[in-house]
Amino acid sequence: MTLILQALASGVVTGCVYSLIALSLVIVYKSTDVINFAGGEIVMVGGYIGMFALLFLGIPYVLIFVFSALATFALGAAFDRVVLHKVLGRAVPGQSILVAMVIATVGLSYVLKGSARLVPYTEEVRRLPPLFTGEPIFLGSVILQPQDIAIVVIAVAVMLALWCFFAFTLTGKALRATSQNPRAAALVGIPVRTMRMTVWGIASALAAIAGILLAPKLLMTPDMGVIVILAFAAAIIGGFTSLPGCIVGGIVLGVIQNLVGLYVASNAISVAPFIVIMLILALRPQGLLGGRVVAKKV
Amino acid sequence: MTKFRSLRGALLGAAALLGLAAPASAAEPGVTDQEILIGLFAPMSGQLAAFGFDPLQAAKMWYEEINKKGGIHGRKIKVAIEDDKCSPTEAVAVVKKLVTVDKVFLVNGGSCTAAAVATQEFVTREKVPFVMLNAAGDGGVFPATRYMFGAFGGTQRTVGATIMEFAIKELKGKKIAFIAHDDDFGNSNWSTAQAVAKRLGVEVVAIERIPPRITDVTAPMLKIRAANPDVLISTAYPAPAVLIAQKYAEYGMTKIPLVQAVQGVPIPAVYAKNVGNPAALTNFYYGSPLNDLTDGPKQQKWIDLYKQYYPDRKPGAFMTYGLPSAMAITMALEKAGKDVTREKFVDAMETLDFDSGVIAGPTVFAKGRRDGSRASVFIKFDGTKHTLMPGVYLWNGKDGM
Repeated sequence: MTLILQALASGVVTGCVYSLIALSLVIVYKSTDVINFAGGEIVMVGGYIGMFALLFLGIPYVLIFVFSALATFALGAAFDRVVLHKVLGRAVPGQSILVAMVIATVGLSYVLKGSARLVPYTEEVRRLPPLFTGEPIFLGSVILQPQDIAIVVIAVAVMLALWCFFAFTLTGKALRATSQNPRAAALVGIPVRTMRMTVWGIASALAAIAGILLAPKLLMTPDMGVIVILAFAAAIIGGFTSLPGCIVGGIVLGVIQNLVGLYVASNAISVAPFIVIMLILALRPQGLLGGRVVAKKV
Repeated sequence: MTKFRSLRGALLGAAALLGLAAPASAAEPGVTDQEILIGLFAPMSGQLAAFGFDPLQAAKMWYEEINKKGGIHGRKIKVAIEDDKCSPTEAVAVVKKLVTVDKVFLVNGGSCTAAAVATQEFVTREKVPFVMLNAAGDGGVFPATRYMFGAFGGTQRTVGATIMEFAIKELKGKKIAFIAHDDDFGNSNWSTAQAVAKRLGVEVVAIERIPPRITDVTAPMLKIRAANPDVLISTAYPAPAVLIAQKYAEYGMTKIPLVQAVQGVPIPAVYAKNVGNPAALTNFYYGSPLNDLTDGPKQQKWIDLYKQYYPDRKPGAFMTYGLPSAMAITMALEKAGKDVTREKFVDAMETLDFDSGVIAGPTVFAKGRRDGSRASVFIKFDGTKHTLMPGVYLWNGKDGM
């Protein structure tokens, strides 16, 4: 029983981070129909920016989240403004531009990874110090580290903040309107181009926060962006069109990985997400919380 | 008639003299009366340059030392250097270039097993001696093939066998838990470790095979904790090795020793920093193929020599790993004699059995044996202090084969 509870607790912790990254992917997808294959590399860049801010600029740990989020917000917004907007501008009527936009995100992932490798500091495997250290916390027989609690609290706080932003702020409502019907949004005076940039900025900031939460647990290398595969799995499990679905999907994935490792085999851990994806796509393709597929009004 | 016989005799004699006087190496690529050309390659750029740059420089340094003493049978050693970036495709390309364009006598290179082994088909077909630089090279030395020599720091089979023997004989382990990756390296580690445990009559209470890119070791460590071992062995790579040490401390397992194989602790100080928990290192050991601590006197003399040759460069942790292969090559060239050919060189390599002054045990090759070292030592490390444990552990070459 202890083993299961420990696996569940640990799975929830890592699942929260998968959820954040999945949220950043789904926000972009819902607003622009683009699948962001650079999501993992933005996680990596956000982690390194946070480490740089902490170790070289002396910024307090709590504020490196803000620093890294702002920096990657600018990165994401700039990418949309400089690259994606240009790609969109070359759209030929009757032909889909989505492939070109997806390839642009693949290009961004290579640029970010290559740029990270150029920095001598990234040659070695590094670890961001944890936000909290100290004695482990015992919940019955379950052992949790202070850092684990911090990850869950921060992830939940970010998700709540995001929900409040979309539900109660004018900009959030404008973003939702843009994602549902860009043409109608433009007609009522919503600056669609600015909204798209904002979406990319918010998504990148989410990825950066996930990167800083992950870095103490995962170790930092320019290749750590491969974690995005698990975020894709989380988004598919929860529903690629559902923000609550991402959260559920991430936690489900974290728990499933641990349970598979515990009861099947440790070397099945990396395969488990893809088996779950296939099952979900076969049985419930819209995901656990995804809505019915409907034609999008334009 | 007599005149004709005399003339014929003179002509025959002249032809014989010409035949004797012609360079013995006229048909042998890379060898002239003045020099022997050796093709050197390693990852000199890219992410894995740390594994290759300094070892290659060390090999070059050894060749220069030999040249200063007059060379080998009057011939100086000349090197042609290439960069394989640790990539199998690049390694094949550079070896082909060294052999067919530069026409080297032999190739001395490879810091990464996959890259070195990728060249095996070519060098075997072309009958070119290939002496690995510092790659473990399991796939290239098992089974033994005529032209490829390697594992001067030991294979992964050696790592598995010696780490198990250390855990049993020094740490008195009776219930061992073993973590290995589910790749070829892990297969090699586990095959010999398992055989040693069986031979010594010790139970392996848990074996966890984990993916090399694993990001969460919760499940395997929970299972290991539940198995209640008295020694935990890990042959994981650097990133998973850190995660394992962290969970080992988090789950309160530090009363039992944790022994980590050399591949997981390339630079102990960095490892300790990444683990970030002093409790994880209270009962921690790691393996090494060297004959001393990296700053011990036996290693220091090579570091001092390196600094003389390359005063502007601080040698990395793997520098001395490049020396034994160069030593083996120069010894074999000496043994092969002045009329050296590739086949004679290979025959001479098969007779080598020497102490390099770098590696823990002897470097030995023979007919049917192509892995040079089968030795490891173990070091206790508490985060700041390294203590060399007594004994050199040797794989017998039979366990797990």
